[in-house]
Amino acid sequence: MRSRALPLALVTFTLMASMVLVLSIDRIQKATEAGFSQSVSGVDLIIGPKSGSIEMVLYTVFHLGQPINNVTMKTVNEIESSPDIDWLVPIALGDSHKGFRVVATNLPDYFEHMRYGGDLPILFSEGDASSKISAAIVGSTAAEKLGYKVGAELFITHGSGNAIEKSHDDFAFQISGVLAQTGTPIDQAIFVNLRGYELVHLGWQSGTKVFGVNNVNIESLPDHALNPKTVTAAFVGLKSKFKIFPFIREINKFPKEPISAIIPGVALAELWSIVGLVESAFNLLSWMIILICLIAIVTLTIASLDSRKREMTILRANGASLFYLARLVIFESLVIGLTAVSGAVLFVTIATFFAEHQLSSMLGIKLQTSFLSLDELIVFGIILGAGLLSSLIPAAFVYRRNLHQGLS
Amino acid sequence: MILETNRLEYLYSSGQTIRFPDLKIRVGDRVLVTGRSGCGKTTFLNLIAGVLKIQKGEIDLIGNRFSSLRPTSLDQIRADHIGYVFQTLNLIPFLTVLENVRLGIQFSHQRTSKVPEIEPEISRILSALGLPKNILNRPISNLSIGQQQRVACARALLGKPELFLADEPTSSLDPKSTTEFVQELINTFDPSKQAILIVSHDPSMVPFFNTVIELDN
Repeated sequence: MRSRALPLALVTFTLMASMVLVLSIDRIQKATEAGFSQSVSGVDLIIGPKSGSIEMVLYTVFHLGQPINNVTMKTVNEIESSPDIDWLVPIALGDSHKGFRVVATNLPDYFEHMRYGGDLPILFSEGDASSKISAAIVGSTAAEKLGYKVGAELFITHGSGNAIEKSHDDFAFQISGVLAQTGTPIDQAIFVNLRGYELVHLGWQSGTKVFGVNNVNIESLPDHALNPKTVTAAFVGLKSKFKIFPFIREINKFPKEPISAIIPGVALAELWSIVGLVESAFNLLSWMIILICLIAIVTLTIASLDSRKREMTILRANGASLFYLARLVIFESLVIGLTAVSGAVLFVTIATFFAEHQLSSMLGIKLQTSFLSLDELIVFGIILGAGLLSSLIPAAFVYRRNLHQGLS
Repeated sequence: MILETNRLEYLYSSGQTIRFPDLKIRVGDRVLVTGRSGCGKTTFLNLIAGVLKIQKGEIDLIGNRFSSLRPTSLDQIRADHIGYVFQTLNLIPFLTVLENVRLGIQFSHQRTSKVPEIEPEISRILSALGLPKNILNRPISNLSIGQQQRVACARALLGKPELFLADEPTSSLDPKSTTEFVQELINTFDPSKQAILIVSHDPSMVPFFNTVIELDN
């Protein structure tokens, strides 16, 4: 082996680089899937009007589409009073600001309970969550694109369009905080106080403004006037995870209003399976890299065939058996393969360790610092096996042809 | 009897057939096969070494009939009973002198058992062949052709195989070195257990041998 130290080092390096790619793709794929299904964490259930789980997760988590119905606050309050409930945060959707969806919710409760990417808290890059009626909190992408900082004022627009006549320009929300990047739909959202949201809708009926609130003295309004009548959905945390399924059954049979409860993780996993194309693309990419790995091994074997054949023929002329020659090349292949595998695992583990924080805050991808999964072991097994088989080519050559051909 | 050949014939791909004389070699024999270039000397030696498959006739090496042996068995017979110095030497360039010489017995228990201490024995043979003592750990590629020929001879002699074969071992030596080399070789081999068969077209070697066979087809 030492006579071919440079080419062997190069092939080991090539193999290692390919294996690093295979490993990285596999881990990013898994982390993306995990990240996706953890776009919202810390929430046991989402309760909303009766609808499909994917539909509900689309508008409550991804802020896509519009809910057809709302849930009355009476129902929400009744659910909240259930002894199984640990916490409940209602959200109201429907408005937007310059193309970014507005989420009206209880501030600061929302940010105390909501998590993402497993168990990461939603952090503020600037300011904090004020409980003022005019408080607004801007997601990192929205803040960056709109150039918003703490203290800036914004008006929200009725619906998701930009029509001026639909603007709630009679009440300004003031930004009290800007969120740090999460890599989830939170980055693209603008959160406002639910009571403020109710206030801007005071003069509206059936999507049309009847009177403005600029002349309304907020202090003179009775407390209940700003309590929302309906909300889009509510995020719920239960006191015990064991209560999840009985609680869902209870909600689905709720007699006073047609409502349903979903487990966000399950709905997100369902949604991911629909977006299965992404996974197929990842798999295809992995297999292409594995193929390149195999081509690299076979190419090296063939390239080194001549020098190896002569060396082996001399060994055979001195009495080396086929078993000895096979053992020699298999040992060499194993050393190359195992060095490449350990190098790749070590590299990816170290890289994961250092990139973990960066990736989770920028892309919401939480890489797991793990050793080797069964899938990865199988893939490496295939690569090593192919390497071993192709390394037997020169040994087989030596035994198939006449000895004197290799010695002349 | 160490070696006996009987009606050996070899058909080349060119269509030419060579008939070889019958040969009997006993312990202590020193046989020289001479002849002009292309007369089949190397082919004769390769057939005897089992490197070429016999097509017609028979070779018997210490009771082993080559025609009935499989190639792998033939490889083992060669490792156990023959020390062969190829015309192209066939040393492994990246191995040291010691490692190359050791190859001579590495795959034969029989020859290994005849060498109680390998390194001193290799040193002894190399010295007898006129090589300096400090050469053991040098890579083959650092050696002159003359030195490489001696290393190839040492590999063939290690473990005292019954038959020592050499194909033009002095081809790259001047006449003085040739005489010295053959003398050293003959001094190194053990006439009570071994026999020598050398192929050469060099007439100056004739006086060192007790049997000279001239191939002339």
